[in-house]
Amino acid sequence: MNPVQQFRLEEKGVRFRNPYFFLRILLLAFFVFTPFMFRSFEVLDVVLKIIIFSALVASYDVILGYTGIVSLGHVLYFGIGCYSVGIFMGNLGWISYGHLALAFLIAIAVSGILSVLIGLFSLRIRAIFFAMVTLAFMEFAFILSSQLRSITGGDDGISFKLPGILAVDYSIGHFLGIELTGRILSYFLILLICMILFLFMLRFVHSPVGRVLQSIRDNEPRSIALGYRTYLFQVIASSFASCVAAVAGACFAIWVRYVSPDSSLSVSIMLDVLLMVIVGGMGTLYGGIFGAAFLMVTRAFLPKLQVLVGSILPGVPMAARLSERWLFYFGLLFIIIVYFFPKGIVGTVQEFFSKRRTS
Amino acid sequence: MDSPWKKWFPTLMVFAIFLSPLLLISPKTYITLTISGLAMGMLLFLVASGFSLIFGLLSVLNLAHGALFTWGAYIGFTSFGLINQWTGWGGSESIFLNITIFLLALLTAGLLVALLGVITERLVIRPVYGSHLFQIFITVGAMIVLEELVRIVWGPNDEVMPVPISFMGSYDLFDVVVSKYPLIAIAMGLIIYFVILMILRKTKLGTIVRAGVENPEMVQVMGHNIYRYFTGVFAVGSALAAIGGGMWATFVKSIHPAMGGEVIIFALIVAIIGGLGSITGSVVGALLVGLSYNYVAYLVPKAALGITMLLLVVILSIRPTGLFSEGT
Repeated sequence: MNPVQQFRLEEKGVRFRNPYFFLRILLLAFFVFTPFMFRSFEVLDVVLKIIIFSALVASYDVILGYTGIVSLGHVLYFGIGCYSVGIFMGNLGWISYGHLALAFLIAIAVSGILSVLIGLFSLRIRAIFFAMVTLAFMEFAFILSSQLRSITGGDDGISFKLPGILAVDYSIGHFLGIELTGRILSYFLILLICMILFLFMLRFVHSPVGRVLQSIRDNEPRSIALGYRTYLFQVIASSFASCVAAVAGACFAIWVRYVSPDSSLSVSIMLDVLLMVIVGGMGTLYGGIFGAAFLMVTRAFLPKLQVLVGSILPGVPMAARLSERWLFYFGLLFIIIVYFFPKGIVGTVQEFFSKRRTS
Repeated sequence: MDSPWKKWFPTLMVFAIFLSPLLLISPKTYITLTISGLAMGMLLFLVASGFSLIFGLLSVLNLAHGALFTWGAYIGFTSFGLINQWTGWGGSESIFLNITIFLLALLTAGLLVALLGVITERLVIRPVYGSHLFQIFITVGAMIVLEELVRIVWGPNDEVMPVPISFMGSYDLFDVVVSKYPLIAIAMGLIIYFVILMILRKTKLGTIVRAGVENPEMVQVMGHNIYRYFTGVFAVGSALAAIGGGMWATFVKSIHPAMGGEVIIFALIVAIIGGLGSITGSVVGALLVGLSYNYVAYLVPKAALGITMLLLVVILSIRPTGLFSEGT
């Protein structure tokens, strides 16, 4: 019996005694019942973005937290997913389920191939090159998407309609007091897809390949000495995560029914993802959910906070500017978390409990 | 066996790229494009060299470099305005006074941003030396904070960068239009390049820095406080970024808070192409990028950034560590 099988057996034994298991069920229940609990579209929008970004951040965590290489261009694949759906539905106008599925497949294929190519030539020497090259490629894609007007619609982006039950004006009647519109149905579809992605990623990081990735993160020379071609494993991890990110991007496009360079490919989304990973905790996967929830909820409340500051200190331009620049505080928070809680929310909590258990 | 090939490869490459557009462009346009390409290259060199040096010695991937560049541009903008208000040199016809005020503004920017760099290095980067992952995060955080500070201090909008009177316009040499400012930029870039090169090659300080790039532990063993040199190199790199920022702003005649983020991508590419930690590599890389960008922007405007990426991919495939080795 190899260590992986042993780990699985141990995990199976304590599955129903593990408090985390019930926490997960609770979390899933929360996401499932959100449309029934909150009627306002704003709340639904925030919760759904939390779901999509959890999947995106978790896929980033596979590269960062489990493999230990830094990519600064992960949002590129998210953007490929968005644009794939956008181009099929909006630009080509092929509005059907088959073409939606095809858009997903093409997004996965393109990002998989692209990430393998980028990985092959930039991971070869130093992992740090990977950070720079991916950043450059993302910027390149951003400029390309705003320049190729005929394909991507330029800076204006593409808005599009979705087929059948996902269309906005579709409705199949009432259930538990709410109308099941195309919005609600696409919410559940995306929730389902993201859950599958999440389970898929959990399976991946706990598979033998995932074990090798963690060994590379912890001690690369040693895993080389054990006979693993670490470079190839890093490429595998990065392409796997890219495919997941592409699916997350396609889901995002389905929800907002609109793609533009700023909303799907920009550096600011990459910064958001970095912040979410840091806040949630690297190398935990679940951290992504907390990081995304923290950032999305804060961001939803920020405009109200600005109004508050404006009413307390009227006529002070510096105060208005200071309250406007919320990204500034996020930057400070970023630095503080990296210093004092390098493991993020989930990591710190886990550490706290494991310390208590041993002492 | 292959050493002469390796030695001359970068030079041959530069000349091939340098001359190939002549097939497609008329010689007069070619000269104009070449000069603006060289100017762009020199400005990129100023940003990339600091970045490259910092990476070489400290092995810190300083993503906050772009923000320092923006700070340089804004401080140059403000100090130029203030000095001009005080003396009126920027508006006078005398080229000597124009150059003086320009250099004074750049000097202010360089000194203040060097100070900012020292603060950043001490406060933010020093606690995480040795951990690549956290360094990248912390410099991303520093980048956000510095860039947002620019927005808080100067406001989020674009500003028009004032340009001294005699820097505007162009010369007309045998029907070839040669703008004035690019010539100044090329001259400044070359002067700064040779000063850095001389300091690195001929002084004791330079020897220690080059040794530190090779092996920091050994330098410490020899009794030098390497951290002091780290701070120094960071300050110099920041000052170079600031001077680059001020000159870039004068080149494009406008400044905005996100300008650093746009230029840092080029600086990254230049530094990778040239070889991280190499000053000569930065010059060659910057000229390659600047020239190819300008030629392609003239021929196929939309492919301009594409050629830069292509250059990066090709060079990384041929020479994965960049054109020049560390410490040259």
